[in-house]
Amino acid sequence: MPKAAARTLPLALTDALPPLAAIAGAEHAHLNDDSISISPANAGQIAAILGFAREHGLAVTPTGAGTKLDWGNPVAPRIRLVLDRMNALREHSWQDMTCGVEAGCTWATMQTALARHGQMVALDPLWPARATVGGIVATNDGGPLRIRYGSLRDLIIGMTVVLADGTIARTGGKVVKNVAGYDLHKLMTGSFGTLGVIAGVNFRLHPLETQSRTWTAEAADPSHFEAPLHALLDSYIIPSGLQIRIDAQHCALDLRVAATPACLDEHAAELTRFFAPISICESSETVLGVRQNLFDQSGSVLLKASLLPSRICSVLSQLRAWSAAEGTEFTAVAQGNGLVDIACKAASDASIALIHRLRPQCSSVVALQLPAELRNRIDLWGCSSSALPLMREIKRRFDPERILNPGRFIGNI
Amino acid sequence: MSQCESGNLFATMLTAAQIAELRAAVGPDGLITGESQLQTYECDGLTNFRVLPGAVVLPRTAEQVQAAVRVCARHKIPFVSRGAGTGLSGGALPAAAGVVISLARMNRILEVNIPDRYVVVEPGVINAHVTQRVAPSGYFYAPDPSSQSVCTIGGNVAENSGGAHCLKYGFTVTHTLALDVVLPNGDLVTFGSPALDAPGYDLAGVFVGSEGTLGVTTKITLRIVKRPEVVQTLLAAFASPQAAGQTVSDIIAAGMLPSAMEIMDTLAIEAAEAAVHAHYPMCGGLLLVELDGPAIDVATLMHETRALCEKNGATEIRVAQSEHERMLVWKGRKAAFAAMGRISPNYIVQDGVIPRTALPEVLTEIDRMAAAVNLRVANVFHAGDGNLHPLVLYDHAIAGQEEIAIDLSYRILHLCVDKGGSITGEHGVGKEKQQALGYMFSEPDLATMQLIRCAFDPDSIANPDKVFPRARLCADRPGPYAPHPLETAGVAEIF
Ligand SMILES: Cc1cc2nc3c(=O)[nH]c(=O)nc-3n(C[C@H](O)[C@H](O)[C@H](O)COP(=O)(O)OP(=O)(O)OC[C@H]3O[C@@H](n4cnc5c(N)ncnc54)[C@H](O)[C@@H]3O)c2cc1C
Repeated sequence: MPKAAARTLPLALTDALPPLAAIAGAEHAHLNDDSISISPANAGQIAAILGFAREHGLAVTPTGAGTKLDWGNPVAPRIRLVLDRMNALREHSWQDMTCGVEAGCTWATMQTALARHGQMVALDPLWPARATVGGIVATNDGGPLRIRYGSLRDLIIGMTVVLADGTIARTGGKVVKNVAGYDLHKLMTGSFGTLGVIAGVNFRLHPLETQSRTWTAEAADPSHFEAPLHALLDSYIIPSGLQIRIDAQHCALDLRVAATPACLDEHAAELTRFFAPISICESSETVLGVRQNLFDQSGSVLLKASLLPSRICSVLSQLRAWSAAEGTEFTAVAQGNGLVDIACKAASDASIALIHRLRPQCSSVVALQLPAELRNRIDLWGCSSSALPLMREIKRRFDPERILNPGRFIGNI
Repeated sequence: MSQCESGNLFATMLTAAQIAELRAAVGPDGLITGESQLQTYECDGLTNFRVLPGAVVLPRTAEQVQAAVRVCARHKIPFVSRGAGTGLSGGALPAAAGVVISLARMNRILEVNIPDRYVVVEPGVINAHVTQRVAPSGYFYAPDPSSQSVCTIGGNVAENSGGAHCLKYGFTVTHTLALDVVLPNGDLVTFGSPALDAPGYDLAGVFVGSEGTLGVTTKITLRIVKRPEVVQTLLAAFASPQAAGQTVSDIIAAGMLPSAMEIMDTLAIEAAEAAVHAHYPMCGGLLLVELDGPAIDVATLMHETRALCEKNGATEIRVAQSEHERMLVWKGRKAAFAAMGRISPNYIVQDGVIPRTALPEVLTEIDRMAAAVNLRVANVFHAGDGNLHPLVLYDHAIAGQEEIAIDLSYRILHLCVDKGGSITGEHGVGKEKQQALGYMFSEPDLATMQLIRCAFDPDSIANPDKVFPRARLCADRPGPYAPHPLETAGVAEIF
């Protein structure tokens, strides 16, 4: 079929199915109500599928387990490119402390394999049992461990990416230190599947944290944590997790530190001093998992705010006051690095009002998840970056036909 | 490595009118056009490449940088940013008849924020000055290239510079929170923010390490780090660098993450001793391990490190007993490149990376390759992350020896790639390794990088004809996937 003709006549899904099935195998291509789901076996098949999508102008959403498909602006893809078959840990060079994994591998599967040699990718994202490497990287997710080990930007050393035109490109490599060429993987990380399909990722690894202790302090108001938090962050204690969790009634600070037992004993004494007059007690490391609870409440508004660490306590206090005023029910978990996840259950107007109040107080507030009726009432990404024209130009160069998650990202990229 | 002429895509001379526009952009005291003064800028640390620029501008503000870049954009004049000119891959090598934008006058530290642990600096600030500024508050700026007393933050950002301590603390990119950048069209934009995860593509991450090919950074927000409670440095003497290398692997396998692990071979020890009298033990392979952190932890780990050194046959183990002794140990290490002049009339500094486990094998192979052409190679390396700095020693006065030395140094890079490594760990590709980049990456990989380049700089005026193996035009589209030679050879695989 000549290309021009194909573009003008949108292809019916029933007509698209056979050629797609021919690429990945009939058992790996399925017709849904509004789309085709297809599971490629390798990067070459991804390239062929994207080639077909491009030729026929079909929007594609690369998908792992689908845990974060609601994040960002809605997309109605015609092709759901599911990476579940590309799920192998391809290489674990444990002596070099690096690994290479296919994008469809679940986080937990990968970590379990790495743990056999006492190693890990030092990141604790949401839904580890289901979420896949590709989706975690595309959304730049990460939890409490970030305060010690940094983000995916610091942990990814190489990547294989399939571009909209079928080009299979490698970037970086398998070594930790490497400045050859542009770091395409930094561009891909957090790009929400708008620039290419991540097919495989190489990580640097860290030793598992074998000995750790967790402490929790409670206070009536986050302002009571202001001084201890400052003292803690300015001390020699190196947290492997530090968060303040808060709702209308409760407010607590949790700290996890991994070190030698003797060192942890010393820290315990120091912490008592930092936190006086509040008491700080030993608790369980499971408290660091509460971030997950926010994301498990269905139907909530979910916000990701970023602010300077010194502002955490005051913004949390304000948040509590505003929620009371707006009559919203909220829960928030603020990491010590200034990243705050906020879940709130509220009527439309109150939620929107809360976002408007928060934005001037924070460096950024992204509405990760909004009920459908709110989505067109506010810019989810809420950002007027001077670099937006350049971001659009990058998108245009990588995906001129806009087939990859069109509209999902900042500025409707 | 012959002299290079890179300006053939562009005009061969700046016109009087263009010069006048540049003068208007930066003011009369910000423009250099006299030939003898221009000569100061004709090369960087890779001195065998020299090109005389058409003009040098010395802006004092971001607005002046914008104005100068706009002149270049209007007339499609190539421009090259320059910090201190200590780069070792020809990154700051001018384009013939192009403009050099020296950031030397933009050298103010604009903000120090201890509670939120960042500083904001102009690009011409010297690396070591950042640490000096925050040290009284108990903080430091972690990336510490050996050139840190002279090189600039702008140059560090462009090269994604590392240093001995990046094993634990990461590279320049790890510590870069935000950047102001003048794009090649003259627009001033901000990437990132002092707070984490600014929405949008991570353009700060992309810009760091782009070697001046994506624009000029005019303001940088850097993360600073709390100084550890205790720092201890151990020296251990081994019969060979291989034995020292094995100890490095054992330390890593024991789950430790020292802040630095460096190895020097006999030639490097000799040279460093001659230069700074660091009191190194003479041996086949000297290992330097630095541990930092809470005092109790360091004591425990130092004990384990000693045991591993003994297990691998260390003939002498010392721990620096005072800050003075520790600084002396580092002085010797940091002087190692320059010290080569003491044992050889000429030398080439190479920079390659291999997976750490390939160390013994690669060192043996380098020895064999050097012996086969009757040259000596001294080895100094950041062993913890497999970053080798083979120094190929030769005598320019002996006819033909320079070519043999250059050839050997490139073959060493190919060896690094063949072992799964990289052609550069910290010095960048620049002018020197353009062709080697083509050995490491296949055509589709390079074409994809070019998409980024073209989005930033469609006319290729920012540091043109660097990094990439051949001059490319932004109309080029990536071709279909073709397997890399390494894949067909079964050495590497795509997944
Ligand atoms: C003795 C010695 C030891 C060294 N040791 C190390 C080491 O341990 N680790 C290491 O990583 N490197 C090392 N280097 C290399 C060099 O010092 C670094 O690459 C350094 O970052 C260069 O900084 P500079 O200010 O001299 O930059 P320059 O050499 O002036 O420029 C380097 C590159 O940066 C670009 N550039 C400069 N300023 C800007 C700007 N504002 N915006 C955009 N681009 C810009 C230039 O165009 C050029 O491509 C060493 C060099 C020497 C001479």
